[in-house]
Parts: sequence; structure tokens; C-alpha cells
Amino acid sequence: MLYLPGNNPNMLLRGHLFGPDGLVIDLEDAVSASEKDAARVLTREALRRGGFGRCEVTVRINGLDTGFWRDDVAAAVSCGVSGIRAPKVESPRTVLDLDEEISEAEEKYGVTRGSTKIFCLLESARGVWRAYDIATASPRVTAILPGGEDLAADLRAGRSKEGTELEWIRRMLIVAARAAGVDALDTVFPRVADDDGLRRETAFVKQLGFDGKSVIHPNQIPVIHEIYAPTEKEIETARRIVEAASAAAARGLGAVSLDGRMIDAPVIRGAEYTLARAGLSAEKV
Amino acid sequence: MEANAIKTARAGTLESMDCLVAVADSDAGRVIEISGASAVRFKSSMEKTINDTLDALGAGERLRISVRDNGALGVVLGARVETAYKRYAGLAE
Repeated sequence: MLYLPGNNPNMLLRGHLFGPDGLVIDLEDAVSASEKDAARVLTREALRRGGFGRCEVTVRINGLDTGFWRDDVAAAVSCGVSGIRAPKVESPRTVLDLDEEISEAEEKYGVTRGSTKIFCLLESARGVWRAYDIATASPRVTAILPGGEDLAADLRAGRSKEGTELEWIRRMLIVAARAAGVDALDTVFPRVADDDGLRRETAFVKQLGFDGKSVIHPNQIPVIHEIYAPTEKEIETARRIVEAASAAAARGLGAVSLDGRMIDAPVIRGAEYTLARAGLSAEKV
Repeated sequence: MEANAIKTARAGTLESMDCLVAVADSDAGRVIEISGASAVRFKSSMEKTINDTLDALGAGERLRISVRDNGALGVVLGARVETAYKRYAGLAE
């Protein structure tokens, strides 16, 4: 998911050409206080124009402790965006307030009720500590994400090259996300010229179970896709698991063995997920 | 001698694919001035975008709109005109 500054026409209208899976149009940190109005109008008009290809489009609004967020929500929801990224979420109350505002906007602009998802950025120790409560505060919540710079600062740790200060937090958010039934998406890797560092960090968060990673520069997209794309061997194994499971189900068997390994429901779900990441449907295997 | 202050407001930038729009008072009806990358080729369509945007906002005629273009698409021009006019008129976005 590629962050695009909400007041930059060049990036806003061309960002999708770099092939990200999703776009995050940023009205918060990438826009100065004096340009919030201009960014909101430009973002609204760009969203109405559309043309973002296959990208899922979300908008990062300003924090609920600012005077901007209600107008941000109205602009985004009126254009039918997939989701709202809420910064600095620290409590379920924040999610409920946002949910209520989104509901009003959906009603006002004729958008299907409940269709606008919420992505919660947890950028403080308080927010991380309450991750599960936040993730379950509304059915709109579809993902939780750790903060980067803000979170490191709140921990009084600073941001290291290795990401040591975020390691435990990432592990915790995976558990909270899975328990709540939402996605876990990782924060950005800020050193845009350090491909090796990006590769290491992406491999690490993928292994933890993160469903994706945010990026701040188009050059980072191919590196992340490369790491997240299943290998040929993984795809072949997944294909055989799904086929074996289908054959077992056809014979009325609940479980089956493949290459000496028990194939049960979690293994099948994992295989289906691998095929989905490879752009293959389990039904077509 | 006392000079009358001319009310004016701006929006946009001169970055690539953007434009800088200024809205000010006018004693000569609605005046539109366009300069820059697309000034000659797309003048009439740009004027239409500007007029349509201002009309949709209920703006009057006594306005001077100056646009310095650097390759802005219509959607960007409209957004910049809207912001500049709202700033000029003191309308909250």
C-alpha cells in the first residue's frame, strides 16, 4: 500500500501506475496545516475522477483530536473509498466515534451502510496495549497497523535500523489481529534507498504473519511484492494440498495424509491463502 | 491618500501537473487570465472548467481569476479554483 501526499497532483494521479496493491491518500502528516483545505478538495476531486486501476483506495484522515477529521471523512466517504485510515488510535471510543461519523456520511451520500472499512494506526504504547479492544470495537475495523516514528518516540526508543524497538510490538499486533479476526499490516520502512534493509524487514514481518506492508516510495513496491509472492514450490505444494483435500471431501473423509503429513483444516486454509496470494483461485486448481 | 486593499486568495503550486490559481476582486466582470504550459492549446476548455467550478459554488461575476499552469488536468484545475475561491470568499471547506 503506497502512501500518496493528498496535495500533490502528480503523485495522486500517477501513483497507481507503479503497481501497488493499494493506495493510501494522506491528508495527515504529508499535508501542512495551511493546506488541509486544498488537499481535501483535490483528493475529493481525484477520487470522483477515479482511474486508480485495480488498487484498493483508502484515505488517511487527520486525527480525531484535530478540527479536520470530520471534513476528511465526509470527503472520502462521499466518493465511496474502500476505507479510512485513522491515525493515533488509542481506545475503542475513538473507533466508535469514527464509526458513527462514517455511518452518518454513508447515509448522507447514499453509500452502502457499513461498506467503508476502518484501518487503525496504533502509534502509541497506549494504542498498542489496547490493540484487541480497538480491533473489535466495530465491525468496520478491517486491519490494525503499528506506527513507526511516532510509536518509537512514544516508547522513548528512537527508530533503529534493525527495528529492535518494534519487534515485540509487531509480534503482539499479530496475536491481537488474529484473535480479533482482522488483518495486520506493517508500517513503512523509512530508508528509501536501503533495499537490503527493506528486504530483511519485509521477510521478517511476513514470517510473523503480517498481511502486507505500507510503502512511502514507489521503488519499494517490487521488493515487497518479490518477498510476499509465493515461490513456485510453495504454489505447487499448496495446489497438491487443495487437490488432496477436495478428493478426500468427495470421498467423505474429513482428513487426509499427503507426503506423510496430516492435511487438516488449518493446513488447507493456509494452502488456499497461498494460492490466493499467487492470484490463483482454489476452485480452479 | 488612502489606497483600497484588493482582496485576493491563492491555491495550488507551480509543481508539475499543478497550477497556481489566484482569485481577486474585479471591477470589470469575471476576468480569466491563463498563462503557462497549456495556456494556448487548452484555453477554452480551461476557461469552461473555471467558469463551471465558480458557477457551481455560486460565485458572482466580479472576480479576476489568474491561472499559472504547469500541466494541470481539468480535475486539478477545478480543485485549485474551488479552494482559491473558498479562501477568497471566506468559506469553510
